[in-house]
Amino acid sequence: MDSLRQLAINEEGFVFNPATGESWTVNSTGLYILKLLKEGKDEDAIARQVATEFDVDLETAQRDVVDFIEKLRSYRLL
Amino acid sequence: MDVVVGITGINAIDNPGPGIGIAKSLKEDPELSVQIVGLAYDAMEPGIYMDWIVDSAFLLPYPSGDYRAYLERLRYIRAQTGLNFLFPVLDAELPLYIKYQKELEAEGIRTFLPSLEQYKLRGKDRLEEVAQTIGITAPRSAVVTSYEELARAAEDIGFPLMVKGVFYKAYKAFSLPEAASYYSKIAAEWGYPIIVQQVVTGEEMNVVAAGDGNGNALGMVGIKKTWITELGKIWTGVTIKNDRLLAAAQAFIERYRWKGAFELECIVDLESDTVYLIEINPRFPAWSYFATGVGVNIAANIVRSALGLPVTVADYEPGKLYIRFTDDFVVDMDVFQKMMLRGERR
Repeated sequence: MDSLRQLAINEEGFVFNPATGESWTVNSTGLYILKLLKEGKDEDAIARQVATEFDVDLETAQRDVVDFIEKLRSYRLL
Repeated sequence: MDVVVGITGINAIDNPGPGIGIAKSLKEDPELSVQIVGLAYDAMEPGIYMDWIVDSAFLLPYPSGDYRAYLERLRYIRAQTGLNFLFPVLDAELPLYIKYQKELEAEGIRTFLPSLEQYKLRGKDRLEEVAQTIGITAPRSAVVTSYEELARAAEDIGFPLMVKGVFYKAYKAFSLPEAASYYSKIAAEWGYPIIVQQVVTGEEMNVVAAGDGNGNALGMVGIKKTWITELGKIWTGVTIKNDRLLAAAQAFIERYRWKGAFELECIVDLESDTVYLIEINPRFPAWSYFATGVGVNIAANIVRSALGLPVTVADYEPGKLYIRFTDDFVVDMDVFQKMMLRGERR
């Protein structure tokens, strides 16, 4: 979580890790999830908000959120 | 205050020396009125001709030759230009300048260099000791002086491993015959001992910094190279703030009371959060202008510290980009003629 908290994220989805110099781009959904993670929300809460925000069913949102979080783990951001 | 600063390493070529970056940094200090004297070993070093940065230029004899001729040349340059401070930045000349720093100062040419004892810390045979002292780690390594010791070290460390000279050259070996061939090659070129070192993986991150000799930092900036040339030289990079890396540089300055500029080359294993010290360069790296560009003018702080002027150690932002680029210009042949015939351009 520490790594996540220190990420610099801009409104267009450019993400920079100041501790390692790594950078990524995320789409609007990824950006939305990242912001909620930084706010300390858990997976379920994020999935519910994604479902509402992007007008998808909860199951799809949960799958996408878990998938994205696993991706962040693989980059050692969580 | 008028300062006439001699700077070597003005070979701004594809594998550039650090000189031009230092010269640019000094020129950017709004309170220092600096005249730059470029000191070159070859009449084709581009810095000689870059008169918008280098105010005058002189050829020097090679530092490996007679030191009296070398000092005599510096005396001449001082008489001609008023040279009162000198940044030697090349590995080959550092031992000479460190040895004669007091003599030079007595003649009015100040330097800002580590002592001989401090300088020896950069030897790869001291890496583990230094890493431990500054709170990071170093790849497992062994100092060997025979094939038998090489074989024993290889068995202990395992393949692949790095075979390195104490100061120069490093090769990755995947088998004992390969390691033995690199061992012979380095020994023939650079002598003994040879270092056998564990291969570590991770992100390469570096710090440029300087110490004032009393345990205080004169500035430090951490970077990651994002694009390198075939020679491994930085082409683009980004500033980073890796706490462990910067703490290690701070500890290096405090624990060893390091005097002058230095660079720590590290590999950071992000999975295990381990910082490996790979190399200590007892001088500015060629990319030192990066620090100045983000507001940390280490070169100017060194001159200020040496002259007893106030020093401000600024902070910097992570995420600033460094971009090196190629450029070209045209000059008259007479400058080259002057360098060839008189060894100077004024």
